[in-house]
Amino acid sequence: MAQCVQSVQEFIQDSFVPMVAVLCSEDAERVTRKNNLSFPELLRPFCRLTSEGHLRDPNNQVVVVKGLRISVTGINTRPPQSPELHRLLSQAVSVCQPPEGSPANVITAGDYDLNISATTPWFETYRENFLQSMPASEHEFLNHYLACMLVVSSREAVPTEQFLKLSQEQHRIQHSGEYTHPKWFIPNTLKYYVLLHDISEGDEQRADSVYEDMKQRYGTQGCYLLKINSRSGSTGADEQMPDPWSQYLHKTSIHNPELYEEYAVSNAVENNIGAEEDGLDPSIRDGVSETPPLQLDHPTDAGYPGNDASQSVNNVDETRPQKQASGTSHTSPTPRGTCLTLNDHDHIRQFIQEFTFRGFLPHIEKNIRQLNDQLVSRKGLSRSLFSATKKLFGGGKVPEKSIAELKNTAGLLYPSEAPELQIRKMADLCFLVQHYELAYNCYHTAKKDFLSDQAMLYAAGALEMAAVAAFLQSGAPRPYPAHYMDTAIQTYRDVCKNMLLAERCCLLSAEILKSQVKFSDAATLLIKMTSEDSDLRSALLLEQAAHCFINMRSPMVRKFAFHMILAGHRFSKAGQKRHALRCYSQALQVYKGKGWTLAEDHINFTIGRQSFTLRQPENAVAAFRHILINDSKQSAGQQAAFLREYLYVYKSMSQLSGDGSLPQLPLPCLHSSQTRVFFGHERRLAEGEKQAATHVSLEQEFDRDLSQLWRELEERVVSVANRGTVPITFQPSQCCLNSQTDNLRYPLAVVEEPIIVEVVFRNPLKVPLALSALSLLWKFTLKGFSDPQGGATGETVSNEKEVRLLIVSRLFVPEARLKLLPHKTGELHVLGVVYNLGTGEVGNSEGDLVCVRGQQNLEIQGPRLNMTKEEKTSVGYGPDRRLDPIITPPMPLLELFTLQEIN
Amino acid sequence: MAVCIAVIAKENCPLYIRSVPTQGELKFHYTVHTSLDVVEEKISGVGKALADQRELYLGLLYPTEDYKVYGYVTNSKVKFVIVVDSSNTSLRDNEIRSMFRKLHNSFTDVMCNPFYNPGDPIQSKAFDSIVSTMMVQAC
Repeated sequence: MAQCVQSVQEFIQDSFVPMVAVLCSEDAERVTRKNNLSFPELLRPFCRLTSEGHLRDPNNQVVVVKGLRISVTGINTRPPQSPELHRLLSQAVSVCQPPEGSPANVITAGDYDLNISATTPWFETYRENFLQSMPASEHEFLNHYLACMLVVSSREAVPTEQFLKLSQEQHRIQHSGEYTHPKWFIPNTLKYYVLLHDISEGDEQRADSVYEDMKQRYGTQGCYLLKINSRSGSTGADEQMPDPWSQYLHKTSIHNPELYEEYAVSNAVENNIGAEEDGLDPSIRDGVSETPPLQLDHPTDAGYPGNDASQSVNNVDETRPQKQASGTSHTSPTPRGTCLTLNDHDHIRQFIQEFTFRGFLPHIEKNIRQLNDQLVSRKGLSRSLFSATKKLFGGGKVPEKSIAELKNTAGLLYPSEAPELQIRKMADLCFLVQHYELAYNCYHTAKKDFLSDQAMLYAAGALEMAAVAAFLQSGAPRPYPAHYMDTAIQTYRDVCKNMLLAERCCLLSAEILKSQVKFSDAATLLIKMTSEDSDLRSALLLEQAAHCFINMRSPMVRKFAFHMILAGHRFSKAGQKRHALRCYSQALQVYKGKGWTLAEDHINFTIGRQSFTLRQPENAVAAFRHILINDSKQSAGQQAAFLREYLYVYKSMSQLSGDGSLPQLPLPCLHSSQTRVFFGHERRLAEGEKQAATHVSLEQEFDRDLSQLWRELEERVVSVANRGTVPITFQPSQCCLNSQTDNLRYPLAVVEEPIIVEVVFRNPLKVPLALSALSLLWKFTLKGFSDPQGGATGETVSNEKEVRLLIVSRLFVPEARLKLLPHKTGELHVLGVVYNLGTGEVGNSEGDLVCVRGQQNLEIQGPRLNMTKEEKTSVGYGPDRRLDPIITPPMPLLELFTLQEIN
Repeated sequence: MAVCIAVIAKENCPLYIRSVPTQGELKFHYTVHTSLDVVEEKISGVGKALADQRELYLGLLYPTEDYKVYGYVTNSKVKFVIVVDSSNTSLRDNEIRSMFRKLHNSFTDVMCNPFYNPGDPIQSKAFDSIVSTMMVQAC
């Protein structure tokens, strides 16, 4: 598992926070809307308490509550339903990408140096979103509402009447039985009355007097006067104000339309390229690509009660921000909190503090006591639950129920007020206020109760929380019971078929195991949790498992790589192209250059595909190139598929990039050193009875002895012509150059006489390749010899011969002869060959859809230098000037033929 | 009988991999490659002093859903990996051990060949035929 920003304790505490509902009057809602925020949103940045709270447990021990966070939400907020949840999570993950150019983290394991991102922010984002959107369940109370804030504006005609109305409304929602959704912790929910005063437009004295009245009615601890909006919105726009909301709201849909669109696009593109299955079902995907990003800002907190009056309020509220959203461009989000000064921020902070310490914690304390009393009387246990539990567990260990027994029944639902649930309730309350010791004892007792009743869902819940509570106890009086978690996960998954709960349990347990350096256990747990039903989840968990393997004391590099590949596969099925590409690239580091060609090819192929769908054609081409250039051990069919894919990608890339120099093609292999160059007209050696008096032609192999013979003959002729001496500058004329001739000098070629270049190809693949429109690539610099050639009209060199079609198969090694005809004098450099590459399949060759144009350079290395000592000890190569002829003005050509008879 | 037999050099590059043609070759490559981690873990687990007289046969490396993977390391750190179908329960530990021993003998013969360049992929016909006798006969 990768490193996380939060510590484990912080993470678990933040996963389970007390919930507070908000019920707002129409007027109060209007006051907060000035800031483009709803009331719960307004409070959100201030919901973590900075100071410690205190409360007393049933034994009158003081419990210190540190860094408590409360969650304030609108009363009608529903956790997103399954498809929407899926979409939100997937979007959150896709938006969260590793920062470009982040400091590389190199892990050295054995002989591998791996470059891996140490943190995985996308996983943390996913986890946070996932845990926050857990639906409230019957079997646990952790995310049921403990309290309700009733908010009324001071501008209301009769605020007290409004409070009464809201209070009745809350009562109706909780007790009428019409509403299944908001779940409540305890029957007598804490109601906290908040009078919201808008300083910029309200009458302050009136607000104060109303507040006095409220204090009389509800007690000083049950109400609060919150004054906000110290300035009118327009004036504050230019001033720099911290925006504490930005990090809390709409995290998932942060204004990054580019990435977002790319995500949608990549999904669409994928359909074109291949038959790869997409894990998302089409309706979801459509939803993703059609929804404009800002619209998603909205559903975080729109909910208010469902009676007629507030329903209409609700509608008004909903349309307004949408209008604003469509009015503003993507790049400038609607500013939040424009009417608030720093003083107002302090007011809100104070308000939360006051609410928690004066109203909320005492309320919890009271309830813990009540529950404790109930339990004591019910069980008829001696005095307190404490002594009872101590008696039970102090002695012999209670035998665990075997798993086989657990599997029998999943059913059995307790009514909400069942006595069995009271102890669980008490445990949850203790847990929320960080009294982990008492919580653990209660969970443990509850677990036994549930197990004896065969209420499996409840038992699993109690097991899970017992394990977490045991872990969080300070001083660790008992080791972390990992087997509790395992049983809980198994029960959730196999008996209750509730993957969400199983996943939550797994995430918690893995994080705890990780903190205890039990990476191997964590990895097993994470891998077990992957399944067919959610690709995104499986991908993320597999990636974390891979990180577990690499973080072990002796890092398991190959396991890491393998699980990264599995994760990459699942990411790509879930439509997360970028993450998939990243996973494969990281895995490639392990497989690269070790001879595992099949695996390497597979990874390269996938990287190529993913890069292509992400519109990174250069990377795609590079990856595909890799598959083709090495002597591949793939079957012929596979090679043909690779080749087709490569050609397709290549073609679309060249279409994108437009003109410019042609890119290099990897196929077929060019044997540069075997290139032969022939100067002059190609002539038949024997024609009728005439026999050319030469040993050089392209049809003949080079023969060293023969050429030595001719060389001597030439020398003799020259010496005769020069009256017996051979000039010091004499060089034998060579009109055919190959790898064995002396190529140190620039050869001479004559203007208007052809130069024939023969290139030799080799095909490393098992499938034939078709080359067409093959011609030479050259560079020419004009250089006048004695007389400049007049005007620069016409082309300097013309390509005489274009080879139409050449099938290169593995057995048949063809050479291609290409002819150049220089028209001017100067220096000619033959650089390479240009050709169209296509698959050489029969019946497919006429289709130009799989045919791309590219070049390959002819670079000839000269012979190894081996003369001086320096040259002998180092490796250096001399020049080879076969392909750089100097074009000279016309000169006389002497050809000699002998007649057959003389021979 | 084996479904895949692999010989891996000291530097962890494959010298020889052969698998039954009926199933995905790539899958076996991944399986064998990943098993090297377990091999390394098992070797490093043995103390330095004991390393000399340690047992070459490493036993079951790990079971997957469909296969069982067995390992064997020679004194020169060349690894042999044999993958067996899980459904094949008749195969005893002793038989696996003798398969490895046969493989090792044949490998030694390959190494004795003066024309073999250590580190190159094994292309010996004799070795091939020994491996063939140990593979599941594809019918």
